[in-house]
Amino acid sequence: MVKAEDNKGTAEGNGNGVIVVKNLTKRFGNNIVLDNITLSIEKGKTTVVIGPSGCGKTVLIKNFIVLLRPNSGEIYFKDKRIDNLPDRELNKVRTHYGFLFQGGALFDSFNVAENIMFPITQHSRITDWRQAEDIVNAKLAMVGLDGFQNYYPAKLSGGQRKRVALARAIALNPEVILYDEPTTGLDPIRADIINELILKLQRELGVTTVVVTHDMTSAYKIADRIIMLHNGKIIADGDAEHIRNHPHPQVQQFINGQASEDDLAVLRASSDIAKAQFLPRDFEE
Amino acid sequence: MLETLGAKTIEDLADMGRFGRFAWRSIVASGWSIARVTTYPLIWAQMNIIGVHSVPVVMITGAFVGMILAVMAYDQLAGMGLEEHLGVLINVSVVKELGPVLTAVMLAGRVGGALTAELGTMNVTEQIDAVRSMGTDPVRYLAVPRLLACLLLTPILIIYADLLGVLGGYFIGVIQFGINNQAYWKFSAYGVDLWDVAVGVIKGFFFGTAIAIISCYKGFTCKEGAEGVGQACTEAFVASFISILALDFGLAVIFKAIYNTFWPLKSLVG
Ligand SMILES: Nc1ncnc2c1ncn2[C@@H]1O[C@H](COP(=O)(O)OP(=O)(O)OP(=O)(O)O)[C@@H](O)[C@H]1O
Ligand SMILES: [Mg+2]
Repeated sequence: MVKAEDNKGTAEGNGNGVIVVKNLTKRFGNNIVLDNITLSIEKGKTTVVIGPSGCGKTVLIKNFIVLLRPNSGEIYFKDKRIDNLPDRELNKVRTHYGFLFQGGALFDSFNVAENIMFPITQHSRITDWRQAEDIVNAKLAMVGLDGFQNYYPAKLSGGQRKRVALARAIALNPEVILYDEPTTGLDPIRADIINELILKLQRELGVTTVVVTHDMTSAYKIADRIIMLHNGKIIADGDAEHIRNHPHPQVQQFINGQASEDDLAVLRASSDIAKAQFLPRDFEE
Repeated sequence: MLETLGAKTIEDLADMGRFGRFAWRSIVASGWSIARVTTYPLIWAQMNIIGVHSVPVVMITGAFVGMILAVMAYDQLAGMGLEEHLGVLINVSVVKELGPVLTAVMLAGRVGGALTAELGTMNVTEQIDAVRSMGTDPVRYLAVPRLLACLLLTPILIIYADLLGVLGGYFIGVIQFGINNQAYWKFSAYGVDLWDVAVGVIKGFFFGTAIAIISCYKGFTCKEGAEGVGQACTEAFVASFISILALDFGLAVIFKAIYNTFWPLKSLVG
């Protein structure tokens, strides 16, 4: 891809970037969710994306795998432009990725084992059932759910579902894993185990990792680099230390979990109304 | 006003275009699937889900159609002293028109509704995106087995409906109204030939394909939430129903042309 290297987005072509995004804009109707974003995800590193709810984190990583197509801009996977590929070609590219959906997206007509088996039967050359089953069991053990093979998703708790989905995302040992809020809904101990799992995959297998999260503890623990999105733009980008000391007030508020005076003003103004609405309920007549 | 109307027309046309593309892709992918034995278990699973439980309803539908026709037509024919011809009337109608159409409508409700609801729910819970994210084509994995199952099963179910329709007519005509048994069957055999049965069964392939493609498309493009799924199911049924009638009309015209071309030949040989 000679042409990609001429592009001004990144000075040294796509360099070390496994996923490179250039001038990406994504909007839904008039709602501009991502506004001209340029970004390079480095090979073998863990990049954490933070930002307030609804700022477009999920939309961003869905663009990485072209589950959503950008309105303008380019997306490269290993120097190959992918945002304009037809579905058939995209499917080949996608087998290099693991994607953990925010809501899990488990197949509810399959049990846990079958869910994790799905990518294996679809893409690996493993034909020996026993061997495939061993992989499933190993992945389930990694997320602490060995023994749940025959459960259906409906019978699992939210956190368990998330972990099964995680096991499914890593079933094929992908080179790139995109996690959408892997620790949301988990207890702190389990969250820490998942953090360790993410780190282990990255360190031992050199997996390029992108994690979307609100959980700053997790972000500080796993990140080589933290990116903060706000109003469709990247407002901070650097290692944990850089983010901690970032001067931007929005960044400080986010990492310290403090609402701004503006945000609170709305609540204060409405508190009188809220009191007024504490009315007798129907059954009290 | 004009603007919204224009925008709606454009949106409708775009939707038609998307549907056309989807239909084309599913049909091409079906051809691809048939050539690969590894996809057969998926098709088989769908055939079980779609087919087995449809048999009783389809049989009941067929039986009632036959019986209703008998009750309705008997008096008129008897008035002209032609009641022995009742069998021809019932059996031709059942085998050529009512059996296939009513079976298809039944399936559009029963199978099409379930398909749209299932795929629609998968869509809103991101399961279809999940299939995609793992590098599998959801059309190939989800739509094609359903399409092939419907395509293969609708004609078979039509045969069931036909059989029960004929029996229902026989039950009312001969057993209830006491038409002479031998005469009933003699006229029936004379009036209904293989062609009539074949027409009905061939219609089934078209109806099944239409139901499956429409229902899958509506599921795949279903809007968010429980309401979205409900709406998709309604739209899928209405669209399937209209398509069945339109196809029935189109096929009737085509089959008539074919029959007229070959009939002279047949009579020469026969
Ligand atoms: N399919 C869609 N159609 C229309 N709008 C969408 C769609 N997906 C996302 N959006 C919009 O894009 C914006 C960003 O959504 P996104 O899901 O990326 O947020 P997020 O940063 O992941 O939030 P959270 O942390 O709550 O998951 C929202 O305003 C949402 O309304
Ligand atoms: Mg999100």
